[in-house]
Amino acid sequence: MSSLAARVKSWPAWMLMGLTVVVLLTVGGTRDNGPLTQSDRIDSIARRVACPTCDGESVYASRAPASEAIRNQIAREVAGARLTDDQIIAGIASSFDARVLLVPRATGIDALVWVLPVAAGVCAVTGLGLAFRRWRRDPAMPTAEDESLVGGLLADRDHFDDRDLP
Amino acid sequence: MSRRRAPVIAGAVGAVMVALLVLLAVADPSTDSASSPLLGRAAPAVRSETLDGTPFELARRKGSWVVLNFFNSTCVPCRNEHPVLVAFAGEQTKAKDPVELYTVVNDDSDTAVEAFFDANGGDWPRIRDDDGAIAVAFGVAKVPETWVIDPNGFVRLRIIGEMTRGFLEDKIGAMRAADAGTVGS
Repeated sequence: MSSLAARVKSWPAWMLMGLTVVVLLTVGGTRDNGPLTQSDRIDSIARRVACPTCDGESVYASRAPASEAIRNQIAREVAGARLTDDQIIAGIASSFDARVLLVPRATGIDALVWVLPVAAGVCAVTGLGLAFRRWRRDPAMPTAEDESLVGGLLADRDHFDDRDLP
Repeated sequence: MSRRRAPVIAGAVGAVMVALLVLLAVADPSTDSASSPLLGRAAPAVRSETLDGTPFELARRKGSWVVLNFFNSTCVPCRNEHPVLVAFAGEQTKAKDPVELYTVVNDDSDTAVEAFFDANGGDWPRIRDDDGAIAVAFGVAKVPETWVIDPNGFVRLRIIGEMTRGFLEDKIGAMRAADAGTVGS
């Protein structure tokens, strides 16, 4: 029991709790509650579609005629109330192609955009873990050459210290 | 061990970098602007009316080759292209199996379009697209753009930008010949 209490009081447990609180607060604070009105829904879909004639602008932000036309199409689909947001966006992408998607798809080759950073992160963390483990297991011991070098330097220092004394 | 492994890892990373560079150098620079997800698929449903109020439905044009030209009277390439379309339409009046040509009015007023056609010729139908639904259905972002739909209602060709004289005739002729060859064989 006492060992359990000691383990609970140990810093990894506190770290884990702190991390959990931060994650929950972040998720709770930034969670999207979804569009409230039809107009909000149109805007939220328009923010996910790129203007086909501009650089880096969403249909929501752009005032180009092509963006206006896409916004009108989104408004018609939303008013029709038959399709989900994803289906509406997929319909637009089926005419213009995937270049109008500001949020890449999670299928096909587009999924690499999501998978590669996660895979790279996992590899990096695993690599670091392995490296730390190896360093702990085989601490670098000074060689005889290192010891003689340090010994010589220390002797020189003592020699100078003695000479400087009045 | 790690000293032996380091050059291998460095070599592998270098090889990947070189492969990426080669890929970038030889990849299509994506200038094939005439590509579209719609090519080879059934044409989008288009329901509208002409500027004179006649109902228009693309699905009802099956059985004929149809050309849709997206147009705006203030766009310079559209204006430059117009004589090419006038010549094309003139040829079709003499053809045994004429291609149907339609102008889809893109973000323009009826009066401006009619004034342009009155001044520059062209008596083919002009289709209204006030809310841009036809443009979005075809993925048209800029004009002029020309689409060819075959008699079965499939999208066969997309031409972005100004066409030169004879280009449309050649392309449709080639597609007709290819289809005849397929049917004949």
